[in-house]
Amino acid sequence: MAKGGGNRSRLLLVLLLVSSLFLITLDLRGVNIATGLRNAAQTTLAPVEGFFSRVFSPVGNFFGDIRNLGSTRNKITSLTDEVEKLNAEAALNEDVAGQLNQLKGVLDLAGRGNYQVVAARVINRGANTTFKQTITIDAGSSSGIARNMTVISEAGLIGVVKSVTPSSSIVLLMNDPTFKIGVRIAGTQAIGVVSGQGGDSYLLQLLDSAGEIKEGDVLIARGSDGNRPFVPGVPVGIVSTVQSNASSITQNADVTAIADLNRVGVVAVVISAPNEAPRAPLFPKPQPVITVLVTPTPTPTPFPSPTATR
Amino acid sequence: MSQIRILNTTIFFLLLLFIQETIINRINFPWHSFSIYLAALLVLLAFENRTGALVFGFIGGLIMDLAPGSSTPFGQWALVMTLMGYLFAVNRESIGDFTERPLAAISFISLAAAISMLTFLFIGLLLGQENGGVSHNLSVILANSLWSFFITPIFLPLIIRFRKYSLSSRDLI
Repeated sequence: MAKGGGNRSRLLLVLLLVSSLFLITLDLRGVNIATGLRNAAQTTLAPVEGFFSRVFSPVGNFFGDIRNLGSTRNKITSLTDEVEKLNAEAALNEDVAGQLNQLKGVLDLAGRGNYQVVAARVINRGANTTFKQTITIDAGSSSGIARNMTVISEAGLIGVVKSVTPSSSIVLLMNDPTFKIGVRIAGTQAIGVVSGQGGDSYLLQLLDSAGEIKEGDVLIARGSDGNRPFVPGVPVGIVSTVQSNASSITQNADVTAIADLNRVGVVAVVISAPNEAPRAPLFPKPQPVITVLVTPTPTPTPFPSPTATR
Repeated sequence: MSQIRILNTTIFFLLLLFIQETIINRINFPWHSFSIYLAALLVLLAFENRTGALVFGFIGGLIMDLAPGSSTPFGQWALVMTLMGYLFAVNRESIGDFTERPLAAISFISLAAAISMLTFLFIGLLLGQENGGVSHNLSVILANSLWSFFITPIFLPLIIRFRKYSLSSRDLI
């Protein structure tokens, strides 16, 4: 009897394992069973998440308040916001200076921040069991948001829209290990790739092995074709440590994000960017060739002056 | 195992997922975060017989795969939790009844949470997923285990009570 039960359990185990593997195989081969179900789950949860976001915001900060006992959270928040604004302003200023020096003012920097955006509130964060760094925002396709749109905060880049439902969107944060973005250094205009590491630090790999990175360099998004997934000109991060490794083909550096992903509450999704992208003038224009003809003439021999004769 | 029990438990899992996504994920824990869903599912598996652990592991894993933020293949958590259900069932027979030893149960749950997350990462690795640095992932797993150890005792009696109510008279025999 027990043996029969054991065999039945084993058969059930095998059946369930095969079912799981079958589902995984289907998903990996592009049969989107999960997308519809996950979107349905997200659509169902989004309005409730918005409600709970308002109700539980004091609870959400409960542990943080314990840690910051003795100081005022509001003051810290306002000061942090101010620092972020100043950092963003400094980043923009440095970027403007670098481009003006190198590209002789061709770039229309005034229209640089002229993005058309949709503001949204962060209503949830991804569970740790997904091993993905995501947030959910309370605006979706009904607000004009689509996949692969850039998401920014008041300080700089936050991430990219990963999936959309009519009323909400999931944003892949820039600290996710799968996140990669092409950047340029604001001063030298050297280009590289910044990758998320899962935590608070990021890795910059400079494409030019002869390029120069130094601590404090500001990194700006290079942008993508059709402004998807990245619009150009958005501040990404600041170089915190330069890794010196002679054997490495590329030059690497640790980067700190300009935007604090742990404190993000309101974001903006860039739904369209100006056509005059700041990166466009970065392509070298043919310069007019100026030919100067010089005819050498014999140097006249100076006559001896009367004073010298005397 | 009756169909009504499977249905009730599935609804219970959906409710847990709802709580996880709407409330628990909002809390900024001092060190990473905590999955009440995983802990509750493991608690339930710990008290089930072999068939129950397998079936509920599979269903619980499938519902876990529904988490909106997830981008892993559908069925990955189902595979992990089915394996966990099997491991639980096998070990439970050797360890005995957990109801009289709550500390052992909590420790077992915390350890199982870590093992299931590690297994999930390992399967992801086999499937070619990029899940970040080893130290970061270990830190996430360790934090989840720690929170499971401290928070699970709070809702452990509720899960036991739910299970007791969900058992039909046939299951009780």
